[in-house]
Amino acid sequence: MRVHYLHYSRATMLKSTFTPIFCMLVPNPKSSKLSTLPITNTFKNCPPPVRQNASLKDPVSITVAPHLAYPTSAYVHLPFCRKRCHYCDFPIVALGSASTQIEDDPRVSNYVQFLCREIDAMKVECDAKKPLETVFFGGGTPSLVPARLVSKVLEALSLKFGVCEDAEISMEMDPGTFDARKMKEMMGLGVNRVSLGVQAFQEKLLRACGRAHGVEEVYESIGIVKSCGVENWSIDLISSLPHQTNDMWEESLRLAIEAQPTHVSVYDLQIEQGTKFGTLYTPGELPLPSETQSADFYKMASRVLCDADYNHYEISSYCKSGYECKHNFTYWKNKPYYGFGLGSASFVGGLRFSRPKKVNDYMGFVQSLENGLVNCSGNDHINVKDTAMDVVMLSLRTAKGIDLKCFQESFGSSIVSSLLDIYKPYFESGHVVCLDEKRRPIRIEDVTTSSFDENIRERKVAYIRLNDPEGFLLSNELISLAFEVIDSYNFGSPHQEAA
Amino acid sequence: MGYLSRSSKTLRQSKFLYHLFFSFPLSSICGGKSLIGGLPHHRFALSRALFCSHARQNSKENNRLELSEYPPELIRNFSIIAHIDHGKSTLADRLLELTGTIKKGHGQPQYLDKLQVERERGITVKAQTATMFYKHNIQDTNYSDGQGPPSFLLNLIDTPGHVDFSYEVSRSLAACQGALLVVDAAQGVQAQTVANFYLAFESNLTIIPVINKIDQPTADPDGVKAQLKSMFDLDPSDALLTSAKTGQGLDQVLPAVIQRIPPPPGKSGSPLRMLLLDSYYDEYKGVICHVAVVDGALRKGDKISAAATGQSYEALDVGIMHPELTPTGILLTGQVGYVVSGMRSTKEARVGDTLFHTRTIIEPLPGFKPAKHMVFSGLYPADGSDFDALNHAIERLTCNDASVSITKESSTALGLGFRCGFLGLLHMDVFHQRLEQEYGAHVISTVPTVPYIFEYSDGSKLQVENPAALPSNPKQRVTACWEPTVMATIIIPSQYVGSVITLCSERRGQQLEYSFIDSQRVFMKYRMPLREIVVDFYNELKSITSGYASFDYEDADYQQSDLVKLDILLNGQPVDAMATIVHNMKAYRVGRELVEKLKKAIDRQMFEISIQAAIGSKVIARETISAMRKNVLAKCYGGDVTRKRKLLEKQKEGKKRMKRVGSVDIPQEAFHELLKVS
Ligand SMILES: Nc1nc2c(ncn2[C@@H]2O[C@H](COP(=O)(O)OP(=O)(O)OP(=O)(O)O)[C@@H](O)[C@H]2O)c(=O)[nH]1
Ligand SMILES: [Mg+2]
Repeated sequence: MRVHYLHYSRATMLKSTFTPIFCMLVPNPKSSKLSTLPITNTFKNCPPPVRQNASLKDPVSITVAPHLAYPTSAYVHLPFCRKRCHYCDFPIVALGSASTQIEDDPRVSNYVQFLCREIDAMKVECDAKKPLETVFFGGGTPSLVPARLVSKVLEALSLKFGVCEDAEISMEMDPGTFDARKMKEMMGLGVNRVSLGVQAFQEKLLRACGRAHGVEEVYESIGIVKSCGVENWSIDLISSLPHQTNDMWEESLRLAIEAQPTHVSVYDLQIEQGTKFGTLYTPGELPLPSETQSADFYKMASRVLCDADYNHYEISSYCKSGYECKHNFTYWKNKPYYGFGLGSASFVGGLRFSRPKKVNDYMGFVQSLENGLVNCSGNDHINVKDTAMDVVMLSLRTAKGIDLKCFQESFGSSIVSSLLDIYKPYFESGHVVCLDEKRRPIRIEDVTTSSFDENIRERKVAYIRLNDPEGFLLSNELISLAFEVIDSYNFGSPHQEAA
Repeated sequence: MGYLSRSSKTLRQSKFLYHLFFSFPLSSICGGKSLIGGLPHHRFALSRALFCSHARQNSKENNRLELSEYPPELIRNFSIIAHIDHGKSTLADRLLELTGTIKKGHGQPQYLDKLQVERERGITVKAQTATMFYKHNIQDTNYSDGQGPPSFLLNLIDTPGHVDFSYEVSRSLAACQGALLVVDAAQGVQAQTVANFYLAFESNLTIIPVINKIDQPTADPDGVKAQLKSMFDLDPSDALLTSAKTGQGLDQVLPAVIQRIPPPPGKSGSPLRMLLLDSYYDEYKGVICHVAVVDGALRKGDKISAAATGQSYEALDVGIMHPELTPTGILLTGQVGYVVSGMRSTKEARVGDTLFHTRTIIEPLPGFKPAKHMVFSGLYPADGSDFDALNHAIERLTCNDASVSITKESSTALGLGFRCGFLGLLHMDVFHQRLEQEYGAHVISTVPTVPYIFEYSDGSKLQVENPAALPSNPKQRVTACWEPTVMATIIIPSQYVGSVITLCSERRGQQLEYSFIDSQRVFMKYRMPLREIVVDFYNELKSITSGYASFDYEDADYQQSDLVKLDILLNGQPVDAMATIVHNMKAYRVGRELVEKLKKAIDRQMFEISIQAAIGSKVIARETISAMRKNVLAKCYGGDVTRKRKLLEKQKEGKKRMKRVGSVDIPQEAFHELLKVS
């Protein structure tokens, strides 16, 4: 069949949310060389859509058009921290350790007020109002914010969109910023997933990265989370810290596992420009680990955590079966999401939008939003090339990889064979893996004996994913190879769907 | 001319009628000229351009553009020749000012150096003609009729000093009867002074020695006079002493030109014969031909034909360079000027061709030997997709520089490109720079090579201008290899003799002559493989002599040599664009150097990369680049997909700019690095 990306309507799309994605695309044999033309969703002229939610039926399938569905996820940025960590370049507001009275800090309540105004000002057609399925409080250190203020935000969200009863509501919490009472309060508000910013289990390392807590607080906070009965929680760790040794890393992993979280996030330290680390250190040079060491850290995490029965479901995420972070999965699936607060990113109506990173600019932005002077959601214009790149980039971060069937149906089969072509040497080297429909690895000889085209047609190769850990370690290289293919590809050419 | 001395006779050993001289600007005293890409020369940071309107003459002078008032007796055609940097262009400025052709102090210095490359490098690359008018009292003549001294029409041709462009010098001399041989009063006779002297001498031109830069504190005009006497047998009393900087002695120059140089010998009454000296392409006018009218006269509207092509044209516009194009409607015997004839491409305008009136029968002029290409290199678009753009740029530029030979070629590593022949390395460099500056093209150049000849056991011969074209494992046995050689002239202060001799023998040179110019300076002649001087020789020579050596060469015979093809393999796959041909004895060193350069220039990739240099199937040098272990794993924090995307797109763009061989990405810099290996 031929796929045409030009006019497909929200109505068509919603009707077909249970059917494979290719049905969402209206065939139009005349389409050619339109790759740069945006896709316009003309739902405004269509009858009110049926309120139906398909997104949870198949939580891991990545499709092209879901970004044109209504968002059911919201990211909320709570930027306050005691102080800035030495590696951090996020938009945060350092309150200083002196201000013990965060409860009454006007900077916090003021900000939350703007946050609620922003949520309020978000234009949503009433028919588009869909209850949120995930809410993620990120920061900053959200756990510093008094529960009553968090409650205001949640109130604003449920007033605006509604929040599902079983919604996943995550909060990033840092050791030393909450006690059992606060934890209980947050849980009372609906927070049911905690992402604990442990980072390391060594006093020396915590101090070296300028964390506001020590190891004691780490254990204390783990105790609180567990005793309060938070069922779904994550420990966040950072590898490749300055002065970090193999033994230290092994210890951190072991202690994290002993705490029995349902989820572990492992971030590889990035030295960002403009951070304290950026001025002090050069990647790969002492006291930072060498590239090889740092790769070894990554491999160790993968091995140790998998041995402890955690699934490595995304480049930097591990979880016990069934405990994937639903919110983060909206990102990997290229689905839409709201973003509220300083510097937060949203993806609504096909538009990726980042809010101002400075508090004053952000407040100005909220005002303009209220006055209708800015629009941070798109009018469902999308560019096929951009979408293809996003899909590749996001799905290759996951263990599931690219679902070739979906990908082909959305972008054409010849691009799939170009992708397989460019990855051929990396199948051989083991960086990339081909899987069949049942997700069994296919031996490379079996793939290459017949042409890729045939393989795809016969659906022998159903997925490609980056191998764990070698492929994940080089994900940037491998993804940018795919970008090259997509970039040089003419999506308009009608022969792409010859099959 | 019977005054050729013994010492200069020894210099004339070369039996080649046609010379390609090569000298480098080793001048250190007035220094400051950058040959390869260096910083802009100070001198053109100065004044604003003098537009032709400024240079145009007032109405009184316009009257003088009645060229019919200038019979051959009142015409003098002369070139300014010298070693590089001795002040030719500056002297030309002064003469143009003195005759009112340009206004004093209004033009930029080296007015005739118009190209951006010329101004940036401070060197002349293209010969330029300018016509001047000058009143002069011929001795013993009384102007009792009240007319005053007659006005002379003088054609000055400023020539390049660098050996790569000596082709320009020899063409210029063909339009002249005399030459000003300019010598820097402090540096004295240099290699290119010798070369250019012989070019002029063998063309039977009257030579006026001009010792310039006498204002310099280290000037030694008497010493220079002695050198001129001993080397060229030029009479010391004939030498003019000038400073093109202060103006000292300049009033002597044009009177000497008029008195000593004979008028052009052509016959006014004979049918028109014009020598096509040069041509270039003008956006508005089309092809503009520079011509010297040898016999007869050319008028606007005349039908003319080209002897070489047989094509006919109409002379749409006729005039002189004064110094900008100035229409006169006529060019008479002995005059030098331009013709616009509606030629579409400069390919029709063959330099050295004879132009004549259509339907007349004439004996074509001897013309010039075609330019000889000394070095060849591949030129490829830096971005593979830009072949058409590069093609277009090269076509346009060759319209203004016909001395480059161009053939299409293709490389597995670099895609479609061109094999270009150049007169020398500076010429190659200037060509690249002009492509970039004047046509916005971005190019990758392969390692320059010289043309080799390989003989096989079946008697067949292969001329190789692209090492990739030489089979690495030939079916036929190679029975002999031949490489081009040059006759090199080196002039150095005597204290450097030892180290220069060592250098030359390292470069497989064979000393032919060794003599003293004066008490301090030594003159040496070497026969050297062209390959050895193509890359890096000049830099070496300069550094071991603190810049005091001057160097020049002319091309000589082929000699038999033990040559091998050196392949570069990346992960076992030969990279055609990196192949070179080297002398067997040097293969190991060069192979090692190439491999090391590449190791530094190629980034780590997902695989281990082996870099090998091999002769046939024998690997002589090897390096490996270990595989990349990991790269940035940054999380997509808070759904900030855009940031991650940008990072990856940047990475993709970086990859796109690379050349891929197998799955190895080669950055463009790797190709540039290879150019530096000798
Ligand atoms: N002191 C002094 N400097 C001079 C004189 N004539 C020229 N120069 C300087 O010498 C340098 C070279 O002058 P050019 O006129 O470009 O020399 P050229 O011979 O045309 O050089 P090429 O065309 O590159 O061979 C410039 O910096 C001039 O300013 C002079 O009489 N005295
Ligand atoms: Mg000059």
